[in-house]
Amino acid sequence: MNSIINKKLIKLNINGNSKKEIIVELAKLIDEQGRLNSIDEYIEEVLKREELSTTGIGFGVAIPHGKTNAVKVPTVAFGRIKDGVEWQSLDGEPVHIVFLLAVPEKAASNAHLKILAALSRKLMDENFREELLTVNSQEKLIETLETIFANALD
Amino acid sequence: MKVIAVTACPSGVAHTYMAAEALEKAAKQEGIEIKVETQGSIGIENELTQEDIMSADVVILTKDMGIKNEERFKGKTIVRVGVSDAIKKAPALMKKIKAHIESKK
Repeated sequence: MNSIINKKLIKLNINGNSKKEIIVELAKLIDEQGRLNSIDEYIEEVLKREELSTTGIGFGVAIPHGKTNAVKVPTVAFGRIKDGVEWQSLDGEPVHIVFLLAVPEKAASNAHLKILAALSRKLMDENFREELLTVNSQEKLIETLETIFANALD
Repeated sequence: MKVIAVTACPSGVAHTYMAAEALEKAAKQEGIEIKVETQGSIGIENELTQEDIMSADVVILTKDMGIKNEERFKGKTIVRVGVSDAIKKAPALMKKIKAHIESKK
């Protein structure tokens, strides 16, 4: 199974002045890893999902996502925005942490979906969010995430 | 005191599980027994049994999309919330439910 995240899918300091800019930046990372069939279609799907209702869940976290045929391999990209960006979040606060999820319309197995479910649950944990805000190396972040993902597949 | 819930969201990837986690955390905080069924892209997990439903004081259902097998809850006290509210306002929601259950006893 292709790893759902790797170092090249992590940006600890991402720049962007809007939700759309951040989504495009992170989608490019996913595309550069050869994980998309069409970056344009993928971004369109993610933005469509945003229109339905914001993925800014509060606590400074957003989890934009697109489930579409434009995705080849289930993937998570992580971006941290120092100054925060407006995301029409449920609590009105700017977003500092973004997980962009890419899921194929028909996933080959449930494993990746379980990983995303586990990540979603973990985001409700304040200590985990604090770690995401302060972690200072991609290696350390991967390590943390892989522990969560491994537990998800037990 | 027991609360059961079913969470679901349009893509079934993230919010379903966040809401489940938020409700579980909030219930524990209030000392309420809880079981949450998730209807996400993985399918139905932690499915509520007939016994769970019978013993529950209150049923929470997210209302962003249709809940599968909703007829199971006929005759129960049902609280419908948006999946986002379940995520964001779970503690307040659970306090309210607790007060409601206590007022009926």
